[in-house]
Amino acid sequence: MINIALPKGRLGEKVYGLFEKAGYEFEGVREAGRRLVFMNEELDMRCFWVKPFDVPVYVERGVADIGAAGKDILMEKNPDVYELLDLNVGKCRMSVAGLEYGDRYGNGNRTLRVATEFPNIARDYYSKLGREIDIITLRGSLELAPVLGLSDVIVDIVETGRTLRENNLMVIDTIAELSARLIANKSAFKFKSEKINEIIRRLRLID
Amino acid sequence: MLLTQEENAALNLRAMYQDFGYKFFRMRRFEEYDFYAGKKDFLSSGHILTFTDLNGKLMALRPDVTLSILKNVSHGKYYYDEKVYRVPMNSDSFREIPQVGIENIGQLEADDVREVLSLAIVSLETIAEGRDFVLDVADAGIVAGLVGGERGSEILACLGGKNVHGLRELHAPDELIALAENPPDELEILGNLNYRPEIHIDFSAVTNLRYYNGIVFKGYIEGFHEAVLSGGQYDMGIGSRGMGFAVYLDVIGNWRGGND
Repeated sequence: MINIALPKGRLGEKVYGLFEKAGYEFEGVREAGRRLVFMNEELDMRCFWVKPFDVPVYVERGVADIGAAGKDILMEKNPDVYELLDLNVGKCRMSVAGLEYGDRYGNGNRTLRVATEFPNIARDYYSKLGREIDIITLRGSLELAPVLGLSDVIVDIVETGRTLRENNLMVIDTIAELSARLIANKSAFKFKSEKINEIIRRLRLID
Repeated sequence: MLLTQEENAALNLRAMYQDFGYKFFRMRRFEEYDFYAGKKDFLSSGHILTFTDLNGKLMALRPDVTLSILKNVSHGKYYYDEKVYRVPMNSDSFREIPQVGIENIGQLEADDVREVLSLAIVSLETIAEGRDFVLDVADAGIVAGLVGGERGSEILACLGGKNVHGLRELHAPDELIALAENPPDELEILGNLNYRPEIHIDFSAVTNLRYYNGIVFKGYIEGFHEAVLSGGQYDMGIGSRGMGFAVYLDVIGNWRGGND
């Protein structure tokens, strides 16, 4: 049996759409409800919805053989898994943003305050620049931080940039291009390679 | 049953290594910190668990077995049953990790390399108890010649993650992408072992170029979610050459059964 972990939310629905197109359907997945696990006996496959940040955990620990996770989460958590395919959905960017006319370096006289949901990505980026920073970890509504003076810049996912503009913020630098990736447990890939490779082959065929 | 699965595996493996002519090597659980501090490059994580001895000397609980053996001997075949203290990947605290393993120390010939690999296969067979198992083998020497520069560590991470699209994005050399996508069917040094069905040539087994610089390998058993065995060939200069592997007994001890 192949177990698939999908991220709850918009990205997960896009990814499930790809699985559907590839011929992997699970009854009831699209119905609103509290059910989390869906089975397809015929395909001998099972899929379940988990929080986006938890997908790599389920896959790394082998409870899921494969899963779909945003590159942002993979960069942040650096799980010990195979990243087998760029699913090319949910495209956006990990960016540094701040008030207009700011720069990524900020006022050199003091520690740069960086608000983010991705502390490891922010730390990694600024340590390469050699800039001392103070990380402020927030859960959502990042745009507020520079507006209210909580931070100098934010490191966050930017899709269209509309929310930034509406709050008088601008992108200062792009750290990475993001999209959903298909990941696999290293051990499961050895013993279920035929089935997993077939899934990848079919997902690749989708336009 | 009196013995746990972990202890049972350790005894079976030790008996087997003894039969193959390896000598038991016992070592102290801690050493002077300076010894490891100078060799941080060779440790999988930079963290070392330290304490101060009564005479004021800074001591370290052993993070690695191979270095301790190399410190004492420069030639011979040894096996060990020890605990190491490390911060595992993606963890924020130290853990005691029980390991059983072997080291064949000295200038090795192709036959010696094959013997170590064969022992790795038999070790996996012993623990697998009928389940399927795989030994991924690669040559870190080939990879070392292709990876370098500022983005070397990112390229290496993509190789370890079978991330071919990532390798392309980083403009990794074509030869390296080819190794990741379509590894060769055989490696010359493996000789007859190339025909063993359990051996897979897989360059994602190369995850570190500072420690191993020859043949590297990782063993997986069906139902265990991570590698249960890992090893390779190293050359840190005269007196510090050899090849060995460790079996991770904690993985075996924590086995929760397959999810099928």
